Amino acid sequence: MRAMLTLAGKDLRNLLTNPLFYVIAGLSTIVWSYTYMRGLLQFAQRSLAMNQPGMEAGLNLQREVFLAHISYVHLLFVFLVPALTMRLLAEEKRLRTYDLLLTSPISATEIALGKFLAGLGAVSALTLISFFYPLATRLVVAYPFVPLMSAYLGLFLVSAVYVAVGLFASALTESIMLSVIMALIFNLMLWFVSQGLGEQSGTVGAVMEYIGLGQHFTGFIMGAIKLNSLVFLCSVIGLFVFLTQRVVESSRWR
Amino acid sequence: MIDVKNLSKNYGDRPAITKLNFSVKKGEVVGFLGPNGAGKSTTMKIITGYMAPSGGEVRVAGFDVFENPMEVKSRIGYLPETPPVYHDMYVRDYLTFVANLKRVEKSRVKALVDAALEKTTLGDVAGRLIGNLSKGFKQRVGLAQALVSDPEILVLDEPTVGLDPKQVAEMRQLIRQLRGQHTIILSTHILPEVQASCDKVIIINRGAIVAEDTLDGLSRRMSGGGHSVHLRVRRHHQTVTTGIAAVAGVRKVTNVGNSIEIETDGADETVEKVAGFVVTEGAGLMELKVQSLALEDIFIKLTSPGATL
Repeated sequence: MRAMLTLAGKDLRNLLTNPLFYVIAGLSTIVWSYTYMRGLLQFAQRSLAMNQPGMEAGLNLQREVFLAHISYVHLLFVFLVPALTMRLLAEEKRLRTYDLLLTSPISATEIALGKFLAGLGAVSALTLISFFYPLATRLVVAYPFVPLMSAYLGLFLVSAVYVAVGLFASALTESIMLSVIMALIFNLMLWFVSQGLGEQSGTVGAVMEYIGLGQHFTGFIMGAIKLNSLVFLCSVIGLFVFLTQRVVESSRWR
Repeated sequence: MIDVKNLSKNYGDRPAITKLNFSVKKGEVVGFLGPNGAGKSTTMKIITGYMAPSGGEVRVAGFDVFENPMEVKSRIGYLPETPPVYHDMYVRDYLTFVANLKRVEKSRVKALVDAALEKTTLGDVAGRLIGNLSKGFKQRVGLAQALVSDPEILVLDEPTVGLDPKQVAEMRQLIRQLRGQHTIILSTHILPEVQASCDKVIIINRGAIVAEDTLDGLSRRMSGGGHSVHLRVRRHHQTVTTGIAAVAGVRKVTNVGNSIEIETDGADETVEKVAGFVVTEGAGLMELKVQSLALEDIFIKLTSPGATL
């Protein structure tokens, strides 16, 4: 346990103090600031127009602005999370510091979990940055908080999936380049497996739909925390962390 | 402390080591010697629990490496061929990280880090990034890393490779200082290193142990108890050579340019008689050196094909 936290702490510090993190966070902030600003201003104009007598219904801030924001955040995460997780294990192998980990009293499970926690920590820091936008909006508009939290829970779980996938890709190779490309392709596969199923019906279609991330993420975004989605996303995270543990363990048997 | 029984390891079809047997007692400094590719690193990696053997067993401090890897790993400090250092960490932070990773008691971490810094004389660079240090310093940080958990056993894989002569001397000095505090296994293909630091030598060639003894013991056994005498005279004639060959106790005489190499039965009287003969012959004695067989000769004898002890 202590060895795991030591490793997680070392890697989290390493990730957060790396220039790469600042580049990623900085550029993301530029994109999000632009898209969020634009969304919010458009919303303000339209709600002003709607605010005429006889049009009481009004518009929904959550659906009009926050959802667009979260989907932008998610879009960037598909590409950026692999960039953050790419070095987790690949670099240990490349610099031969892997030897130190494998000859220290720390189990393969602790290595996999420690690395996962570090990656999750760094991605959570990015998520937190993106959370400031809706939070700042609360200074000027009162809106219901719970649906937003549900959407962010969904974003958190999906980004945890990407971290686990990226960690697994990083465990497979010594090459950082290959690690980032593999993680990216795995992410897109998880996302697109349920796309374009329009014609496909029956069991295959249902299964494909279910194992795609899209359906589950949409549920959270709409403010519905479904138990099966929670279980599914946690299982995917568990699966990839477990696969990483197997890869780490296997290096003793070569 | 370390017991190795019938240890084998194959990489695919190629055997790296076959049925190694040896043991190391507490406090010993053992040199693991062999040409490149003999299986030194493989053996060390198995002892440290880095990888599993194909057959046989290793017990460290009474624990089987594969049944109790955690117990074994917490007792071993390991310096691999490439020092396992993070280039973007500060020396002191790195050592603290390793100490925590090795489950050193929390209250001892700081003291042990300081002690490791002091032993390896890294105090001056404790606050610098490892990536900015020279190779010699990185190697020393690697050694500090192996020492920081105050392990019972130190496994050092070619600790002086790539260092300049001064650093090599410092590294050997350091290893000598560590004697007595730790049981040390040291692998190398550099002979003077073994002579400088080890109590016992294990010579390994093509995955098998060809000799295991103390340095003196090896030297005696290889030369059959004899001496080799190096002689240089001013007036070198055939008569001198034949005359020496006739002295009782001399086994073999060879002319090497201006000097004469003599193998004797090892008795001091023989050397005395040889010297007396050369002087009375009036050949003009310039130099006479008695040497027991050097490690280098032993090594070459043992690792050449078809060698036996």
